[in-house]
Parts: sequence; C-alpha cells; structure tokens
Amino acid sequence: MKKFVNDPAQFVPEFMKGIALANPGLLDFNAEFQMVTRKGGVDKSKVSIVQGSGSGHEPAHVMAVGPGMLTGACQGAVFAAPPVDACYETIKACNSDAGVLVLVNNYQGDRMAWDMATELATAEGINVRQFWINDDVAVEDSLYTVGRRGVAGNFFVIKACGAAAEQGKSLDEVEAIAKKVNDNVRTMGVALTSCIPPAKGTPIFDLGEDEIEVGVGIHGEPGRRREKIQPADQITEELFEAVASDIPFNSGDRVAIMVNGLGGTPITELYVIYAKAHELAEKAGFTVVRNYVGEYCTSLEMAGASLTILRLDDELEALLDAPAETAARIF
Amino acid sequence: MTDISQERIERAIRTTCATVLRNEHYFSDLDGLAGDGDFGTSLATGFRVIDKEWDEIPKTDIGAMLLKISMLVSKHVGGSSGPIWGTGFMKAAMLTRGKTSITLQELADMLGSAIEGIQARGGAKLGDKTLLDALIPVHEKLKEHAAGDGDVCAALCEAAAAADSAVDETRNLVAHRGRASQVGERSANTPDPGIVAIATILHDWCKDCGLAQTPNAAEVAKATA
Repeated sequence: MKKFVNDPAQFVPEFMKGIALANPGLLDFNAEFQMVTRKGGVDKSKVSIVQGSGSGHEPAHVMAVGPGMLTGACQGAVFAAPPVDACYETIKACNSDAGVLVLVNNYQGDRMAWDMATELATAEGINVRQFWINDDVAVEDSLYTVGRRGVAGNFFVIKACGAAAEQGKSLDEVEAIAKKVNDNVRTMGVALTSCIPPAKGTPIFDLGEDEIEVGVGIHGEPGRRREKIQPADQITEELFEAVASDIPFNSGDRVAIMVNGLGGTPITELYVIYAKAHELAEKAGFTVVRNYVGEYCTSLEMAGASLTILRLDDELEALLDAPAETAARIF
Repeated sequence: MTDISQERIERAIRTTCATVLRNEHYFSDLDGLAGDGDFGTSLATGFRVIDKEWDEIPKTDIGAMLLKISMLVSKHVGGSSGPIWGTGFMKAAMLTRGKTSITLQELADMLGSAIEGIQARGGAKLGDKTLLDALIPVHEKLKEHAAGDGDVCAALCEAAAAADSAVDETRNLVAHRGRASQVGERSANTPDPGIVAIATILHDWCKDCGLAQTPNAAEVAKATA
C-alpha cells in the first residue's frame, strides 16, 4: 500500500484539519467530534441541514458544508458511522428556531447513530427530524442496509434542501423537498478496482485484472454481478438501463445527469461515460437540462463511476440553480 | 420501601464491567456457535473504556452518569450491540435526570423504557432470540416486587433466575434478528449470547446483595463462576 498517510488512526482528523485550514473563511472545525459547521454560526431563522457518515466518500458530507448546502456535518472513521455523541453535538451545534433536518444515507450504522442522537436532541427540546436517502438501484438489501443504499444522489438532496432552507422555507417544506428529490433520483455504480482503507492496508475485495463489479456499493459492497471488462459504451448502457428503467423515467422528462467518479478514475474517462449517457438520455426522449461530471461521492481510491439521473420540475431546477459555496470548489 | 442510591447503581455498573471483561472470550465463543464470534470482544471493548474512564464519567446525578455510559457504549461496543445496549442506557438515563436515588418502581420503569427503545432500534420482539427475551421477564419481576414488597435484592435475584431460565427456554428457537439470523436453522440448539450475558450480569448483581444463587443454564453457571 502506498498512501499519503502518517498514522492510519490519525487519517481522518488529519484530513479534516487540512480541510479546515484550507477554508478558514468558510468552516469552523471541532476536532473532538470531527465536526465542521458553517463559519459565523447558525442562522436561527432558517432550517439547518445536517449530515454525518463514514469518511472515505469526500467531498460528500464534510466538504458539502457551506452556504446553500449543509449547515454542519460530522465524520466517522473510514467507512464507519460517526459515534452518537458526535451526531448529537452536531445537531446541537446546528440547532435553529426553524428546526434541523438530518439527511441520513440509508445504512444501518448511520441510521442507528442518528436515531439515538435525534432522540436525545428531541428530549432536549430541539426540533429535529431525519430523512433517509436511498437512491441506489443496484440491490434491495446489502451488507450494511435493510433496503436500498444511499449513494451519489445524496448530493441532489443536499443541494435542493440547502437552497430551500436558504430561501427561508419551513421544516415541513424542506422535508417535502428532500422526499421529492429522493423519489425522483436513481443511481448505479460500477467498480474497476477495489479501494484500500488506510487502517486495513489491503484491498477490501478482490477483483480480477479483467473484471468489474456492476452495482458496487460505496464501501465496496457487492452489487448485481461481476463481469468481464467491456468497452465504456457498453458499461454505460448497462448503468443507464438499470437507472432509467427504475422509477421509471419517461420520454419528455427533464433531467439532470451526474457521472460521479469513485475516487480513482480520471475525469476524462468520466466524460467518455457522460458522452454516451447524454446520447442515451436524448434517445430515450429526456431533456438533459443540467449535468454534473466529477467527484461527488467517492470510495477512497476506487477506480469506477456511478451514473445518477434526477427527474426535475420547475421547483427542483430552481433549487439546483441557486448559489452555493462549499469546500469542494474547483476554481 | 428502600430507595436505590446512586452509589448502589455505580456499584452495579462496576460489577457489570467486571462480568463483561471476565467473560470476554467466553461470550465470543458462544457467539461463534451461530453468529460471527465477536459479541464478547465487542461488549468488552466498550465496558473496558467505561472501566478505564470511570473517574471521568460525571457523577452529578444518575441520569448524567448513565447518559455518558450510553455514549461510551454506543461508541465503543462494536457491531449492532453498541447502539442496542447504548439505547438501553440512554432510555434509562432519560428517566433519571437530576436524580440521586430511585425507587424499585423507577428501576422497573427505566428497564421498561429501555426495552421499548431496544425494540424500536433493532426491530426485535419477544421470541426472536435476542436479549429482549431476557429483559422482558426481568421487567416483569421488577414490576411485581415494586408493586409488592419493594425488596430490591429479592427482585434482582428473581430477575436473575428469570433471565437464566430464558437461556434454556430460547435455546431451540431459530434466531430472527442479528447475525445469528443469517444462519437460519443452524442457530437452533445454541444459546443466545446476549441472553446469557444479561443472566450472568444479574446473577453477579445478586451476588453483590450477598445472595448468590446457583444458575440453571450451563452457560450461565460457567460465566458466573
């Protein structure tokens, strides 16, 4: 294993410290709970949007904190849910008169930690609710879930809820938007290689030199099947078919398309996938009004990608258009 | 009716740490019969932290103490046992905020609330061959004594016997929750390590009352020895 790691046990606090130091005008960092919140504190008149999950998926979670996005987030160890006290402290730090909405990706560990934290915060008189994201069409149940997993579609839920909260929408309204996005977003991923959690030091699953895992989870969980590597267009067709047929999307739909890199795939390859996905979307009669090509939810250095399609209406389109600023900037 | 002092609850927690640490490998061995063999180690990892950080755990009142223990258990006990056991402590903590002593009825209520919380968290019910199969009859015993003689030690010792009986009563059931459920029929004819752990802890609490009893289930006899 060759990685930029000092002590594997310090990997998460060290990268979080780096994110905080690189974004002094944007984020406050609490080392004890591995938590970041928006600089300048919480606007008590607006709904706070909170998230927290295992590390290793960046820029997901902590790097999605900022105006128009998350209010605060906490990190667990690599691929492990954050501890209950960190979740509880994050809710408390983001407490707002307008309420707190916790966006939880559907994994058992995350759900149990946030359940407990929500219960504790509620007992303290905090107005907090949870919403579970489950956009992955690959498998119904997995190693870490009852029901579908939450993956890259998470970005759209955060983006839309963050924008709605910024506009001063109520907790009920923001929650309804979370549901609308989740009901209309679908994702499936494919892995070309495994990833290596720093503390483990070895790949979390074995994949032959010429094999790919179709429907892989963002923790390397098994997907639908393992098959031989194929030309990019064929893999994209397989992903597109699985995603587009799921809700199903219909001819005439206005959609956003995301091609998300899993950490170890160059952006050029993501654009090869995007080119085919865009063509397939047009062929299916969809109007592609927005696109997102890059890394939004990764799995350490896993080579691979996921395809997400979101069905839009005027409301969601406007929310995606609204300004936002996070630590995951590109300029 | 005698109140249960905070000091007595602190002692019960210390006893629980000792019980869990003493049986670390044994509980894992039991888990290995149908589960993934990590139950004892998972539990011990959490209770070792409680033992080590005992002096730093707030003792202003029972609720504050149990809430901290709940956080440590949730954080350090591995697998689903962390949130499950942590939820039990959390529910008990919520009913004891600001209190420095409780009645037996309040102890029964704490356990009742813990049971509800655990059911909600893990989705298990009576007969699923989980720790609830021990906790539910234990709750009944505490309620009986709270409504009757109010004798704390008598209640704990009968509760220990009830949890102990649950080991044999559930032995032949097929697990429906937790890792053991994944092996289906293979989980029959094995004791549930969570039930054994609850029975063992209660027997050790009973010993603290100076009323040691002989366990019925072979596994509990071995774990209390």
